[in-house]
Amino acid sequence: MASRKKILLKVVILGESSVGKTSLMNQYVNRKFSNQYKATIGADFLTKEVTIDDRTVTMQIWDTAGQERFQSLGVAFYRGADCCVLVFDVTAPSTFKSLDSWRDEFLIQASPRDPENFPFVLLGNKDDLEPRAISAKRAQQWCQNKNNMPYFETSAKSGSNVEQAFLAIAKNALAQQNSTVDLYNEFPDQIKLTNTQKPSGSGDSCSC
Amino acid sequence: METEPDEYHDCFMQDGVLLKQAPSSHMTALNTIGTLYIYEVTRSGESCNKKLLLEWKQNDITVDSDVQYQEWAVVNTVQKRIRTLSENMPEHHNRSKSLKINFDEIKSFKVCNKNRQLTFYDGTSERICGFLFQHGNCEHLVGMLKTILKVGVSRRDKQIYVVYDSNSPEFQELNRSFAALNLKNEDNSFWHMFKHFKENPYEGSLGAFAKVTNFVYRSVEGSDPDILSRDELYSSITELDDGVPHSGGEYEVINALPQLPRRKEFPRCNPLTEEQWRSQFNSLGQLEDVDSIKNLIFRGGVSPTIRKEVWKFLLDYFPWDSTDLDRQQLINKKNEEYYVMKLQWKSISQKQEDNFSDYAQRKCQVIKDVNRTDRTLEFYAGDNNINIQTLGDILMTYVMYNFDLGYVQGMSDLLSPILWLMQDENDSFWCFVGFMEKVMSNFDIDQAGMKEQLTQLRVLLSFIDPVLANYLEKHDCGNMFFCFRWLLVWFKRELNQDDILRFWEVLWTGYPCHNFHLLVSVAILEHESEALMENDNGFTEILKYINELSGKLNMELMLNKAEGIYNQIKEADHLTDSVRSILGLPLIGTKNRGSEEQSSQQESPFESPDLSTPRTEPCCSVDNVRISPDEIAFEKSISSSFL
Ligand SMILES: Nc1nc2c(ncn2[C@@H]2O[C@H](COP(=O)(O)OP(=O)(O)OP(=O)(O)O)[C@@H](O)[C@H]2O)c(=O)[nH]1
Ligand SMILES: [Mg+2]
Repeated sequence: MASRKKILLKVVILGESSVGKTSLMNQYVNRKFSNQYKATIGADFLTKEVTIDDRTVTMQIWDTAGQERFQSLGVAFYRGADCCVLVFDVTAPSTFKSLDSWRDEFLIQASPRDPENFPFVLLGNKDDLEPRAISAKRAQQWCQNKNNMPYFETSAKSGSNVEQAFLAIAKNALAQQNSTVDLYNEFPDQIKLTNTQKPSGSGDSCSC
Repeated sequence: METEPDEYHDCFMQDGVLLKQAPSSHMTALNTIGTLYIYEVTRSGESCNKKLLLEWKQNDITVDSDVQYQEWAVVNTVQKRIRTLSENMPEHHNRSKSLKINFDEIKSFKVCNKNRQLTFYDGTSERICGFLFQHGNCEHLVGMLKTILKVGVSRRDKQIYVVYDSNSPEFQELNRSFAALNLKNEDNSFWHMFKHFKENPYEGSLGAFAKVTNFVYRSVEGSDPDILSRDELYSSITELDDGVPHSGGEYEVINALPQLPRRKEFPRCNPLTEEQWRSQFNSLGQLEDVDSIKNLIFRGGVSPTIRKEVWKFLLDYFPWDSTDLDRQQLINKKNEEYYVMKLQWKSISQKQEDNFSDYAQRKCQVIKDVNRTDRTLEFYAGDNNINIQTLGDILMTYVMYNFDLGYVQGMSDLLSPILWLMQDENDSFWCFVGFMEKVMSNFDIDQAGMKEQLTQLRVLLSFIDPVLANYLEKHDCGNMFFCFRWLLVWFKRELNQDDILRFWEVLWTGYPCHNFHLLVSVAILEHESEALMENDNGFTEILKYINELSGKLNMELMLNKAEGIYNQIKEADHLTDSVRSILGLPLIGTKNRGSEEQSSQQESPFESPDLSTPRTEPCCSVDNVRISPDEIAFEKSISSSFL
């Protein structure tokens, strides 16, 4: 794929209210942190250009409201995502516990064509705060069971690790997009729709 | 050629058609299955005298009428059957079992029941006959009819197609609009594009012209005739055109020339002054003329010096007819009530809280949110701000007041200006309770209230700006999600503090109609419509554009426009009950029993027991509110995307 077509990567940030989704997005895109951000209502996104392996891509980062009852709006915003970023607050155990449901909800609503291999990245945010409630080890364990989801500990406040985390997010999103593009190019239409699973895939969880 | 006998030429055939309504002569054939034909007869000896006829012919074998709808059978089956059955044609049109309709008789027809039911009328609101299509639907037949007859969609009922004759006012109006367009002296390429409409079946061109004329009128109204650029016309036509002739399943709603009345200006007035306000109280401290007070507030808001007091009335803390004494007693009573509720949660111990997760969750969310509420205002700024603490206390007490609803994000935004103004915990709480009463359904656990508001917004927009509404529909924005924030917190995030105080007090009057904030939204969308439809914008661009309007809206202008829109709607002669019900206007369908809408509702065939198959969907009435098929489709799309 040597085409120089503009690449747009859509990234969706999910997690409980107040874990720092809006702050992370702003830290990454604008390199700013403010105590004055408001709770998110509805949805918004910011874009940023990044260079990955000599290719310039545009990341479109979507930020939605965290309170549970607003999740039903998700479908309009999750559609077409290339990567999903799950965020929890390392000082708030409940935000860690709800990760499974955020992940499941995303897969249901976004219904990516290959859910087993859809890229997620986990961020443990507010790394600068004490006391910690969730250790890095515990978070990594959770990730291992989830297709070895990459894990980063970040601070939207200090900016620590934010750049690295989003670079990994961009790479995963790009890889995801390339894999779906390959899928499009390799198979005729009929196969594309029904047989997206790689031969090594464990189950037939798509096409529903 | 001249000496041949009558010649029949079949143009169309569809089987599986149940006769549902018929003249008394055909009573016995009711509810039996047959085949519908359209054929051309050439009289012998008069080769130029061709005549088209529509005929329904009962099948010889009685087919079990329980046959379920077979959507998959639509096209191919019909074509196949044309081949096999045509051997028996044409002289078998047995009179006793067939019903012939002359096209001249048809003055209108109605398509309903998800395109499965077609009823013909002779223009005196009498039915000629009605059919139910058991195999597929009547789309193909309607397509045929549109090529044969000159039809447009009724102003009163989008399901009804009216057959125009060349003397009808509609037809004249159409010709006039066409002439008006001609005057624009557009270059050839424009008319080139128009050509294919002419060559197309009449319906296609009629539909498209209707939209063009709509566009022309709208543009001319909008003061600057130059905005009627070729590009705009072109895009409005092409974009609308592709849906006109055949739209899968649901019929494209063509606004056959429904013109809105001219929009009037409603300049805003000065705020209600202290003098005006004081002069309204009698010796007992009762307001004399509540309506005129509310009207003044609607027109100009409230001057800041009396705002604190007036808001207590507007937010139903003080009854409008209360006396001084009543209010004194009320304050004491409410004060006590408030502190009792506050004490309830203040006295919950940490241990209790640990074992009371529903409560703990609500409390946690309140604390998170108050810390992110209007921190840029001096009143709420800085660490350990006492007002932030009070904001939290009021919201927590509200949780105790209405535990089932609890705390939902957005509520802190609604309370913040109230506390800022009142600077009193008890007063603020009760005013907040009043505000919540007005917007409670926005915070439903299943978001039903918000879904409804978004649907209503879309219905109103299609009425006022069908071009934009259509554009949004076709660009993945039909769900109107991009207006979610506007509606959830009544523009709190879009306006500055001064404006929000003014805006809310105007809306709280409930004047001039229900859901006036939706008309404000329509006004903004219409105002921005050019930018919204630029560059083939889709959901992403539109959401961004709308979000970035925050801080840039001219609130007074929007109120002015919204009131103009309200008056246009009220005076529009094609006003529908679905729009009326949104704005709380009296419904016509329920009042004028003799009106056309009512009569078509009464004859609604959905009561027939054999129609109540699971696939049947009401598309006529819900609590006497007319809902057009596209509205239902939209609601379906909206609820499925919420699921
Ligand atoms: N100390 C510290 N505070 C943070 C950090 N990230 C966010 N915060 C604070 O946590 C609070 C919530 O942050 P937001 O970014 O608004 O959280 P959110 O996830 O977007 O929340 P919702 O919009 O309600 O879903 C704010 O008060 C932030 O200032 C961080 O890395 N360190
Ligand atoms: Mg946020």
